[in-house]
Amino acid sequence: MTTHPHHHLQLTTVDGEDSVRIELHGDLDYDNADLLVQEATDRLAARPALTDLHLLCADLGAVDSMGLCALLMIARRTAEAGVRLHLDDRPARLERLLTLTGTLGHLTAPPPPRSSATSAAEESAGAARPTGPDVTT
Amino acid sequence: MLIADARGLVVRCNDAAVPVLPAAAPGAPLADVVPGWLRDAHAGLCSPGPHTAPDSGRAPAGEIGGRFYEAHPTVRDDGSVAWWLVDDTDHRLVREALRMEQERGAFLAKASNVLLSSLNLARCMDATAQMAAESLADAALVIAPVRGQRLPVVTCLRGGEPETSTVTADPDAVPGLGEALRGFPPVPSRWIDPSAAPAWMVPEGIGPVGSIVITPLPGHGVPAGALILLRRAEAAAFTEEEEVFARLFAARAGAGMSAARLYAEQSSISDLLMRELLPPALHQISGVDFAGGYRPSADHERIGGDFYDVHPATVEGEPSLVLLGDVCGKGLEAAVLTGRIRNTLHALLPLADDHQRMLSLLNTSMLSSHHTRFATMVLASAVRRGSTVDLKLTSGGHPSPLIVRADGTVEEAETHGTLIGAIPTVTAATVSTSLAPGESCVLYTDGITEAKGGPMGDDLFGEERLKRALAGCAGMPAEGIVEHVQMLAAQWLNDRPHDDMAVVVISAPRTHHLSAVNGHTRGRYTA
Repeated sequence: MTTHPHHHLQLTTVDGEDSVRIELHGDLDYDNADLLVQEATDRLAARPALTDLHLLCADLGAVDSMGLCALLMIARRTAEAGVRLHLDDRPARLERLLTLTGTLGHLTAPPPPRSSATSAAEESAGAARPTGPDVTT
Repeated sequence: MLIADARGLVVRCNDAAVPVLPAAAPGAPLADVVPGWLRDAHAGLCSPGPHTAPDSGRAPAGEIGGRFYEAHPTVRDDGSVAWWLVDDTDHRLVREALRMEQERGAFLAKASNVLLSSLNLARCMDATAQMAAESLADAALVIAPVRGQRLPVVTCLRGGEPETSTVTADPDAVPGLGEALRGFPPVPSRWIDPSAAPAWMVPEGIGPVGSIVITPLPGHGVPAGALILLRRAEAAAFTEEEEVFARLFAARAGAGMSAARLYAEQSSISDLLMRELLPPALHQISGVDFAGGYRPSADHERIGGDFYDVHPATVEGEPSLVLLGDVCGKGLEAAVLTGRIRNTLHALLPLADDHQRMLSLLNTSMLSSHHTRFATMVLASAVRRGSTVDLKLTSGGHPSPLIVRADGTVEEAETHGTLIGAIPTVTAATVSTSLAPGESCVLYTDGITEAKGGPMGDDLFGEERLKRALAGCAGMPAEGIVEHVQMLAAQWLNDRPHDDMAVVVISAPRTHHLSAVNGHTRGRYTA
């Protein structure tokens, strides 16, 4: 178990048998998004037999566009490595961001052979916006 | 050695002293054969009463026959004094040279400080001319590299203010100047005939010029210009040493001016980029009102990750395309990506009636294996039909546009889609709607809704608050809504740091309404 102290974001990495769990504490934003990408990339490189990468988001604060950019990069790396990415315990704000940007399905899709293209299409078609009155069409 | 008695008469003069004091024959009065300083020293030593011990301070010293001597006295038993003269000339010269070197070192350090503290080329040239005129010559000219036949020149007389002018002249007509401007080593001062100097080189009020030094100002890889030093006819000509020193000064001045010029070039490049990347000013197009407002995250940066554009239809009666988006990241890096997106969308304008296809092609062009930088955006096609404005709205992972109805209802457009540029395949849903006169559609970036502030300082402005604010904007003109939203966000922030914030409002104008009345359209307003 390793801990990376950071002013905004703290990562706690726990190695499991076939999986790695990274706990995120703090904001995932412009200043420290790279930290998470680096940590995830290092874990993927260090554990070629890995099947699952869990990002525990329960204590995640604000996620800005660079934070989302980092999650997308990690999803790309896990897909390449054949590892499934899990975003566990997503706070409502993260859920909203992922829904709004149509990335939820892509980020949590199982790795290929099932392609990310279908998952994105499914996600987008299935995503309903819960609020807001109807639009005149 | 010279011995004189208490009465001030020379007693003896040894062989070594004869060449120095040829008139010092025994018996001659000291006053006639030695300079005043030695005579006074002798008188002081021989006078009765207490006097300072000769070894308590510096030995008397002064000039004899063009050289410099220290005189060390030895009082003999008979009251006469033996003066031992020690030639101090070389020591003096060395000390003088050291003092000059120190002064020059200090001058060069000051020159470097002054020149490097300014990145303004004009100020650098002024400072160079002024410092050169104060310390190196009676007048100095600094010439910037030639542009065509025109020489930018700064002239400064000693004690005067630097003056800038542009001279139309052939630098090759002045010996040494053409070479200096091309960066060749300077020609020695004695090769330059002061009387041959053209009138523009001789500043008014200096009088006849006695000597001229022309030295190049070496820059970073390219010559930065030339420095011309002038001395009056009555002043001493430039020594070889002074010419070398002028070159040392020129090297520093050249570096300073060159840095200033590079900086000026760089800032003109970023100015150019800024102008290209700045959001456009919006106005009414084909009967549809457009207004936009943009506030970058750092107020001094002016450009950032948010962008918007309005492309009028090429054919009258076709929809205009509005795009508003947000690139992840901030500053120049985000601005460059923004520029690419705006260009790509511009090229895709022929497909403007198919938003999904546009977004999909844009997505493909932005995909990169190196990064997952993405953009979220809204496309809006707007066209005037009678008195209403027909809208097609498509969101690519962007907050949905808000529609402000005439009765103050605020609707969220039901469009959603995938962000652009990070995922191989994107989808998006397009919605259509119409704006009656006085109704508006508000496109915004999350910099507005995620503005952190409020009474407690850490609340988000939020979508609900924005909707409530917009409900009060029913019937307002497009520009008024933009300003109102910007003002509310600014008040909410209260000078706290924030992300880029952009708003675009599309409105169906009321003012032209009556001319378009056909009896069936909704609402007959007069503004």
